[in-house]
Amino acid sequence: MDLAFSGWSGILILAVYGAIMLGVGLFTYLRNRNIHESLDEYYLGGRGLGVTVLFFTFFATQYSGNTVVGYPPSAYRQGFEYLVSVPFFIMIIMAYLLFAPRLYSIGKKYKLVTPAQWLEKRFKSKAVTILASLLMLYGLGNYLLEQFVAIGQGVSGLTGGTIPYQLGVIFFVIIMLVYGWLGGMRSVAYTDTMQGFALLFGVFMLLIGSIVYFGGVPTSTDYMQAYSPEKLGIPDAPGVRNWLSLLLLIGIGAAVYPHAIQRIFSAKSEKTLKRSFSRMAWMPFVTAGIVFLIGIIGINAFPGLSTGESEQLVGKMASSIASQNALFYWAMIFLFGGVIAAIVSTADSILLTFSSIISNDLYGHYINPEASDRKKLLVGKLVGVAAVAILILIAWFPPGTLYQIFVLKFELLIQISPGFILGLYWNRLNTKTVFAGMLAGTIVASVMTIMDLSLLNIASGLWGLLLNLSICVVGSLVMSVTEAEETESREVIGM
Amino acid sequence: MGKPRKEPIKNPKLWIVFVILLALLTPWYFPGSFDDMFIFGMPLWAISIIVVSILLSAFLSYVIKNHWMIEEEKEEMDEKGVK
Repeated sequence: MDLAFSGWSGILILAVYGAIMLGVGLFTYLRNRNIHESLDEYYLGGRGLGVTVLFFTFFATQYSGNTVVGYPPSAYRQGFEYLVSVPFFIMIIMAYLLFAPRLYSIGKKYKLVTPAQWLEKRFKSKAVTILASLLMLYGLGNYLLEQFVAIGQGVSGLTGGTIPYQLGVIFFVIIMLVYGWLGGMRSVAYTDTMQGFALLFGVFMLLIGSIVYFGGVPTSTDYMQAYSPEKLGIPDAPGVRNWLSLLLLIGIGAAVYPHAIQRIFSAKSEKTLKRSFSRMAWMPFVTAGIVFLIGIIGINAFPGLSTGESEQLVGKMASSIASQNALFYWAMIFLFGGVIAAIVSTADSILLTFSSIISNDLYGHYINPEASDRKKLLVGKLVGVAAVAILILIAWFPPGTLYQIFVLKFELLIQISPGFILGLYWNRLNTKTVFAGMLAGTIVASVMTIMDLSLLNIASGLWGLLLNLSICVVGSLVMSVTEAEETESREVIGM
Repeated sequence: MGKPRKEPIKNPKLWIVFVILLALLTPWYFPGSFDDMFIFGMPLWAISIIVVSILLSAFLSYVIKNHWMIEEEKEEMDEKGVK
């Protein structure tokens, strides 16, 4: 994104955001010196997050800087068909209701730290735990990479190229590593709160500015009626299938994001968790809804952009609005600072979960179970830093448009859900079929994505999931489970 | 004794409502005549989707508040016990 309007003021706001994040990390460190001795304290904030902080940390896992910068271009290109972005965020909360109530209770009972730890507890199978951990690490790595690319582009865009892409990435990644290292989940959640406020404020200002200076939605609708009526029409049959598949894929997919699951374990109490979810159910209207409207207004404000040019839509609109007066100028600077902060806040959550899988599941369970929590933590943190270093090298060569990689990681992460969710309820679920389903689903989803194969316009991740689920269910019905195994499952689930 | 333990997944009625809402959230049922109708500059079908979305959020809030009760009571008792 090229924001000709900013420059030194952009650098100033980034420096301020960076300083606040570091301050939060230092403050948390000084207040909680003991967190480096315990996985619970470091990765879950001592299972004590209150409603507001928990809400904003869930908020940061679902809404990133990409929501603000990447969604309006999609609305610009697809028109009202992209309205699906509002309900698909609501679907995430519905998907949580399938498993979060029971998972919170079980997490509390067994002091679970990571999602894979539940699989280990439930299936006691090295193959299932390791495959799930690897899928999560791969999906999270991909996701983290995407955030780094976005940070670099954002910083160089906001500062008008004064700070080059690479320097932008390094600057924020180092800040993120420092506050994450110092304060763990607490730092991550507190900075999420600050970052969430900045983003919400900025997006509101962008909408107000767009309405004032470009005319509101009705003006844009008139334009579409005259020049591109297909952007107003009711979706056709393939459009409807795509719509439904997005609702299902993103609903289930985002709810089983490993870092989203981990937040369930960090809730202070069931009441806290419930209140946070209740608020989240209404957020799509003020986040996805607003960015959707901005994209629609953009159709009239900057007509006829090519696909590539439309990716810059938010930058173009913000530049025009910023040139109007000082209030909007600073609001737009604040917005893009907030966008970058939001990307950092998504990245820090992913990295924390990434490290926790290493600390708790791979190193702490299989490689060196005798190690102290302090040592497990150190290994997790160090492997996290090493992974970040590798990803930064890859980020020098950013991949294609954002949307495609977004779907790619979903497709892998979603394959964990059948074993994970069915395992909470079904005593007879067979361990071997869970493994076979997860593997088959992953292969189908990956091959379809890589070869760019499409079937009935339904996302390849859903086909993989369907196969995965069928193998789990049919396999478990056909294969027998011994009396002892079934009793054991019943005891583990304990409900 | 307090209220019974409640888990949303065990209540099929709730999921019937969710399925109906999901069906209404997908734009397959609008007659072609809706194409030319607008309210506040938005196509009528899009307004309908937004209304159903609001219903879904409201229903979710209701279910979360009233049909999810596993640990809450115990946690509140523990808290009182500590104090």
